[in-house]
Amino acid sequence: MNMSNATLVVEDIHKSFGSVEVLKGISLTAEKGDVISILGSSGSGKSTFLRCINLLETPNSGRVTVNGETIGMRYPDAGEPIPVDRKQVERLRTKLAMVFQGFNLWSHMTVLQNVIEAPVHVLGVSKAEATDKACALLDKVGILDRKDYYPAHLSGGQQQRAAIARALAMDPDVMLFDEPTSALDPELVGEVLKVMRDLADEGRTMLVVTHEMGFARDVSNKVMFLHQGKVEEEGAPQDMFNNPTSERFKGFLAKTRG
Amino acid sequence: MEAIWEYRDLIFIKGGLLTVEVAVYSLILATIFGLLGSWAKLSKNKVARAGADGYTTIIRGIPDLVLMLLIFFQGQILLNRFGESTGLWTFVEIDPMTAGVFTIAFIMGAYYTETFRGAFLSIPSGQIEAATACGMSRPLIFRRIIWPQLVRYALPSFTNNWLVQLKTTALVSLIGLQDIVYNANAIGRKLREPFTFLFAALVFFLFLTAVSEIALRLLERRYSAGIRRA
Amino acid sequence: MADAAQISPIQDFIVSAIFDYTVVVDNYETFLIGIWNTITLVALSLLFGGLLAVPLAVFRAERHPIFSPLIWCYTYLFRGTPLLIQTFLIYYGLGQFEVIRDSFAWPVLREAYWCALIAFSLNSAAYQTEIFRGAIEATPFGEVEAAKASGMSRLTMMRRIILPSAFRRALPAYSNEVIFMLHGSVIASTVTVVDILGAGRTVNAKYYIYLEGFLAAAILYLTLVFLISRGFKLWEKHWHAHLRPRSAASPAE
Repeated sequence: MNMSNATLVVEDIHKSFGSVEVLKGISLTAEKGDVISILGSSGSGKSTFLRCINLLETPNSGRVTVNGETIGMRYPDAGEPIPVDRKQVERLRTKLAMVFQGFNLWSHMTVLQNVIEAPVHVLGVSKAEATDKACALLDKVGILDRKDYYPAHLSGGQQQRAAIARALAMDPDVMLFDEPTSALDPELVGEVLKVMRDLADEGRTMLVVTHEMGFARDVSNKVMFLHQGKVEEEGAPQDMFNNPTSERFKGFLAKTRG
Repeated sequence: MEAIWEYRDLIFIKGGLLTVEVAVYSLILATIFGLLGSWAKLSKNKVARAGADGYTTIIRGIPDLVLMLLIFFQGQILLNRFGESTGLWTFVEIDPMTAGVFTIAFIMGAYYTETFRGAFLSIPSGQIEAATACGMSRPLIFRRIIWPQLVRYALPSFTNNWLVQLKTTALVSLIGLQDIVYNANAIGRKLREPFTFLFAALVFFLFLTAVSEIALRLLERRYSAGIRRA
Repeated sequence: MADAAQISPIQDFIVSAIFDYTVVVDNYETFLIGIWNTITLVALSLLFGGLLAVPLAVFRAERHPIFSPLIWCYTYLFRGTPLLIQTFLIYYGLGQFEVIRDSFAWPVLREAYWCALIAFSLNSAAYQTEIFRGAIEATPFGEVEAAKASGMSRLTMMRRIILPSAFRRALPAYSNEVIFMLHGSVIASTVTVVDILGAGRTVNAKYYIYLEGFLAAAILYLTLVFLISRGFKLWEKHWHAHLRPRSAASPAE
């Protein structure tokens, strides 16, 4: 299939929970610098799709290729597929940093400790180097003054920006955002979206599952609309938002605007 | 193994029964202590509250065996001196059974105090207000509204405390009560098979624990299920 | 002093209830030995128990297909039976077997102190396993996912994320375990170890008295429990309070 030097190629992902098929064959290609927004109503499978990419959910079938390296899977006769090489999955996950809806900062560590944790203990970077870089990143997301706070003492927006800094600290090739603003109070959404806009402007490759139509339209260069586990419509945002072809996406737009 | 079979009466029937007796008597007494203690802790009376706090603090601070020895040896002396000096009684003997049951009850009463206190506090005060507003009398409120919920909320902690209490009864062997531990230890040493006999006693306790646990969990399920269905 | 005769029984009663502290002061060395033995027994059995409990708790929490049921049996056996019998089994019981009497371990297993230490460690390990298992299982799922997503191996995740956060969560339950272990340690005196209660018994036996030794022991235990609770409160404040949601803006440390 797509054998270009794309940063991320996801092919034909299927995923079932019990007898319910949540993903019915979804593919996606992200070139370097792409910002892809994944839209869909709840239950459309968009979060599951994102989580299948870094194997937080194990897809029943399909392929994930990062920088030309395909994650090897074994398919036993019974039960879920298993990665052939756990180490490979761990290594590729460092290339696919994730930002979660619920922030998921490690609550027993300060913000700074959260950011340097994986660089030091997974990538093997020295603590001093990791700290310097972490401070720069925290400065970039605007919470350097909060570096010695514990997550519980920060607002949701600050926590999410810390989580973004943590993801950035891995020097990822692709950033996966799983509804990063959905758990935030409305007045805090803006500060997180601004950081994400800056990242897009920098040329980061991003996959964003979101409900923020403004972000999808203005920031991303590709949009994908999922419905009941299938891609209902995809394309450039200006085409999709101005001339939606599928009835379902039209309906979705009408609902979110109204 | 044959030795155990030979001495099964002395160990399991006589000794085991005594262990169960101590446990059950002290449970009844401890529950009364616990209800009184929780009532005192929740009362508006400062003295009662302070007394109950002192009670639970002291129990938490002093190991069970130390208290048991104090009560068994010194309690008797004090009681008799007191009887002598006041002329109220001439001689009382605190037998090991009384001392054991009383000490265990006194200790566990402090833990049941917390159990019942927690359970009382779990009952939303609004429900009691609602019952009062319906014109229910205080005894009626206790019987119909508080008690069923008290049991439900208290059961998990009660189960834990009962399992602790069951094990605590083993200590009465140290003040001369011929319970299962005492008999197993004595016979085991006499026959030079202490491990075998002590292990039998261990299994007996494991059996009691398992049976109580299953019974209380069933009770728990019944109580919470009944409430949910209602 | 005409009415002296009338007062004397009451006086007598009061005097009998009075604590003759000179007995304790004269034998302070015995009590010092007792305090030392109690503290080392409790501290070492908590330490050894803890070292054993951490891997056991991890296997239990991960539902290891073979080890998990075995560990369950172990914790059930030790939590479901009296420490007294466990200690007796090791001190009095093991000598029944010739293999053990002939083994290199016999010089250790003959000593009451070591037997008590072994029994207490195994017992505490069972309780600590359950405490840590509960704390590990209560790790917020999202924090585990975040660790996975940043490419941590299972070992790194356990070492850096799950266990440190679980230990903090386990602290209140752990302080109870320490106090229960202190309470339980009086069993050592029943196998001839001179712990605090043992010291009290020794002093009582020396003078044919019942009160002073036991009461001194009770006061010493009460003091230790008070110190332990205080210590844990401070520790929790230092180590735990940061986790509790606080009204925004207050820096750590």
